[in-house]
Amino acid sequence: METYSNRKYTISLMFILIGLAFLFRLAYMQLIDSHWVERAAQISERKVVTYPARGIVFDRNHEKLIANEIHYDLMVIPKKVKEIDSFAFAKLIGIPIEEYTKRILKAKDYSYRKASEFEKQISPDDFTKIGPELYKYNGFFEIERTLRTYPKHVAGHLLGYMNEVSRRDIKRQPYYKSRDYIGRSGIEKEYEKILRGKRGVKYLLQDAIGISTGSFEEGKFDTLAISGKNITLGIDWELQAYGEKLMQNKLGSVVAIEPSTGEILSMVSAPSFDPDLLVGRRLGKNYGVLQRDSLKPLLNRATGSIYPPGSTFKLIMALSALQEGVITKESGFPCTKRLVGCHNHPSAQSVQQAVKMSCNPYFYYVVKRLIQQGKEKSIYKDAAIGLNIWADYVESFGLGTTSQIDFGGMAKGLIPSKKYYDRVYGEYRWAFSTIFSICIGQGEVTVSPFEMANLAVIMANRGYYYHPHFIKDIDGDTIPSKYLEKNYTKVDQIHFPDVIEGMYDVVNSPGGTARRARLDSIIVCGKTGTAQNPHGEDHSIFIAFAPKDDPKIAIAVYVENAGFGGTWAAPIASLMIEQYLTDSISNPRKEKRILDANLINYTKPK
Amino acid sequence: MSRGKSIIGDVDWGLILIYLIFVSLGLSTIYSAVYEPEHAFLFDMSKEYGKQSMWIGISLFLGFFILLLDGSFIIKNSYWVYIVTMVLLLLVLFTKPINGARSWFGFGSVGIQPSEFAKIGVSLALARYLSMKSSITKKRKKKSNTQLTLANYITSTLQAIQANAPILIILGIPSMLVLLQPDAGTFIVFTSFILVLYREGYAGNILLFGIVSVFIAVITLLVAGNTFFLPFTKVMLSGKFGVFLVILFLGLLFYFVIKKLIQPRERKTLYKALIGSMIISIIFINVVELGYSNILQKHHRDRIDLVLGKMEDPNGKGYNINRAKAAIGSGGFSGKGYKQAKLASANQKHVPEHSTDFIFCTWSEERGFIGSAGLVLLFMTLLIKIVLIAERQKSRFTRVYAYSVAGIFFYHFMINIGMAIGLAPVIGIPLPFFSYGGSGMMSFSILLFILIKLDAERKVILQ
Repeated sequence: METYSNRKYTISLMFILIGLAFLFRLAYMQLIDSHWVERAAQISERKVVTYPARGIVFDRNHEKLIANEIHYDLMVIPKKVKEIDSFAFAKLIGIPIEEYTKRILKAKDYSYRKASEFEKQISPDDFTKIGPELYKYNGFFEIERTLRTYPKHVAGHLLGYMNEVSRRDIKRQPYYKSRDYIGRSGIEKEYEKILRGKRGVKYLLQDAIGISTGSFEEGKFDTLAISGKNITLGIDWELQAYGEKLMQNKLGSVVAIEPSTGEILSMVSAPSFDPDLLVGRRLGKNYGVLQRDSLKPLLNRATGSIYPPGSTFKLIMALSALQEGVITKESGFPCTKRLVGCHNHPSAQSVQQAVKMSCNPYFYYVVKRLIQQGKEKSIYKDAAIGLNIWADYVESFGLGTTSQIDFGGMAKGLIPSKKYYDRVYGEYRWAFSTIFSICIGQGEVTVSPFEMANLAVIMANRGYYYHPHFIKDIDGDTIPSKYLEKNYTKVDQIHFPDVIEGMYDVVNSPGGTARRARLDSIIVCGKTGTAQNPHGEDHSIFIAFAPKDDPKIAIAVYVENAGFGGTWAAPIASLMIEQYLTDSISNPRKEKRILDANLINYTKPK
Repeated sequence: MSRGKSIIGDVDWGLILIYLIFVSLGLSTIYSAVYEPEHAFLFDMSKEYGKQSMWIGISLFLGFFILLLDGSFIIKNSYWVYIVTMVLLLLVLFTKPINGARSWFGFGSVGIQPSEFAKIGVSLALARYLSMKSSITKKRKKKSNTQLTLANYITSTLQAIQANAPILIILGIPSMLVLLQPDAGTFIVFTSFILVLYREGYAGNILLFGIVSVFIAVITLLVAGNTFFLPFTKVMLSGKFGVFLVILFLGLLFYFVIKKLIQPRERKTLYKALIGSMIISIIFINVVELGYSNILQKHHRDRIDLVLGKMEDPNGKGYNINRAKAAIGSGGFSGKGYKQAKLASANQKHVPEHSTDFIFCTWSEERGFIGSAGLVLLFMTLLIKIVLIAERQKSRFTRVYAYSVAGIFFYHFMINIGMAIGLAPVIGIPLPFFSYGGSGMMSFSILLFILIKLDAERKVILQ
């Protein structure tokens, strides 16, 4: 009726247009644009990483060397901290009220609504006091963390420590994420992949202030964390502890191996330290202290040091010469002191006697025969050939070769070759007379404590060895097969008994150089060594195995600046052997002498 | 005056059906929005759904009561309703502020919002006034004789204002009172009455003018911050000059169009109109820019920026909107299921106000596109239905009233849903029949039932 009735169309059209605009917008948002789905998930869901339990490390008797312990981080959400008795709370946590205020401000600074750390790594004992009281204090809650513990407090060098991953670690191994922990040294590092397990993921729903309200899709997408595998080492913790105790106030190392398997029973580096010092928060503080200690406790003298083997090398010389046929077991040589110095003793008329008395000139003659075999007219060319033969023998004893051990940082000894001397003197410009000190384990020859212990193993086994290794067993997995194979030296078994008799004499017969290693109930066979040290007092060396027949332990002891091998290294070795085999000490005075000894004559560098 | 045949009579059952559908869907959505297992009973008075049920009950009762009334009774008392609601609007200004605004009379845990009921008063008063006016003073009767000079235009506008002062008063009083609370949202709803005036013959130009202004304003604000180089020169200009250039360009275009298509006789007036509108546009652009930068407060600017898409901040100012959109967008085609919302949900509460202003998010997240589109279509149906009802009236009163109702519902629907999907700035007004709120439920119900009643009597000629 009105002339404006057409306007109804305009109005209706407007309604429809807006409605359509909304429909299109909704269709776009809900059907086409998928980023809202992601955004919604971002807002309402939370991915929580679940951390697996790290593998436990056992010793050979299934005692825990490294275990896990749950610690607690105390978290705070500033927004929810209302009306609490801050004095009582500060007292409960054990901090002064000023510290409490400072930390609350710091948390507020970080975020008013999100949780931040208030107190880190509270031990379970401390937490039994704190935990039950937390409900009284709004805004505070705890989260669990696992830290390593070392129930036996031994083998710091061996077991290693952990710290947070670096950016480089993450780049190299994408498995790791920021804030993860990784084994940094020792067994923790060597077996990192086995011990660490695999992290899991939990998808949770969360509300507007980030508190989880339940599981997403009933955990359909969750993956369970896989625990790390437990491993068993060949280490005997009591032997290890005893060794560390005996080596107090001394510098040096002890390596003990089970000859029938190659399992390392003990690795002591003195000075040693309690691995517990380097856990969690204590790591930062204590590492610095240890690093600055002038005695360098962090240095692993068992793996890292190399030194001349001294007279222990004569064992290899005798066996090689016997095998090569340049001497027989009855060979005798005079103790010609002008060739090379020696102590006073009757001349050695056999290999056995030479070993017992450790006659230096004897071995001068022996090794000269080995190296200068007269195959060439020129002594230089002859020596070159001889040396290579010599080197072959020596290397077959596991010296001067790359170690197959499951441990990092192994130093390699040096067994000189033709090439080596050619570089020093020029080709064919050297002969035995130039290099003779190698006959008594001095000069250019250097070995590591592990190589020495392995030599003891070879003597124990009469001619073969297994690659020394720490791992005894991996949960649900096998150890590398190379550790299960026998490695033979180039010397036949028949040559061993005479040398071994000599080793028996060293310890048990009058005139032997290591009478201090003698035990009543066990037959110990050993060899002393004294490594010359141009910087100070000579180093004391002793290798041994026991019992003579059906040996159970082979050991190499090395004490810096301690003079003759027989004086200090030998008794330490025998005490450890006795402890390992009989679980008791028959001569407490011998033990006391060792425990009381302080052999650190260390002069600080200028 | 004759009585209606019976109460049932010509009641538009379709409208009642739509109403009931809305109300029940709304209640079910509120139920899932604030669901608490310990209070699972629908009529639990400690929860919003219990209270809403009560409001629905009261509204139905009021509705039924209205249907029992005589249409003429309602019509005759329009001004009284208006006066009472205005008094309430005045009195509420003397209450204690809640959340920074004086909008509520509180009685314990429930409250009454007079601004909701004011809409009823204004609708009735406006209808009464316009139905009593015999004719409308029109300014545009003579096209060719009256010269379209600026002076004439101003004079005639002033005359129009003078003649229609009562309309301005009827609308002006509540607008001002509401603005004093302050309640910007409801204030904006009062501009919906332009729709009514438009339909009744007023403000055709104003409507067109208004739409074009909004368009220009939006574009100006969009580009205001940007700068660009004048082509072929090294001169750097701010965005608004771009708009100037566009207007200049359009002006030239229209010039040529006029030259080509319009007869020389009428060209002159059109040229003047063209130049006039260009000048006004340029002035307007500057005003908008100035107003935006200097008059509007920061949080207003931020809200506008968010809508225009100039600002992107999921956790800052746009927090509400970002989560609202995420809730809606993640609903997908069929939604996440009843009570399965993850954002606009009872225990996760990522979307604030999800049982009141943002209830559309709860609905959309649970029901997906099917639900959200369905709801939009239902609202459109409601609006078109009201237009149809309006147009079949012989009584001017009812027609005017009906368009008022349509306008009010339209605004609420447009702003509430538009806000949730990010097409409108965040203005807190409820979604009719859906959002939790007693005053809203009652006033929307009363609005509708009065319409139903008046429509039921359409065959009875009153005026």
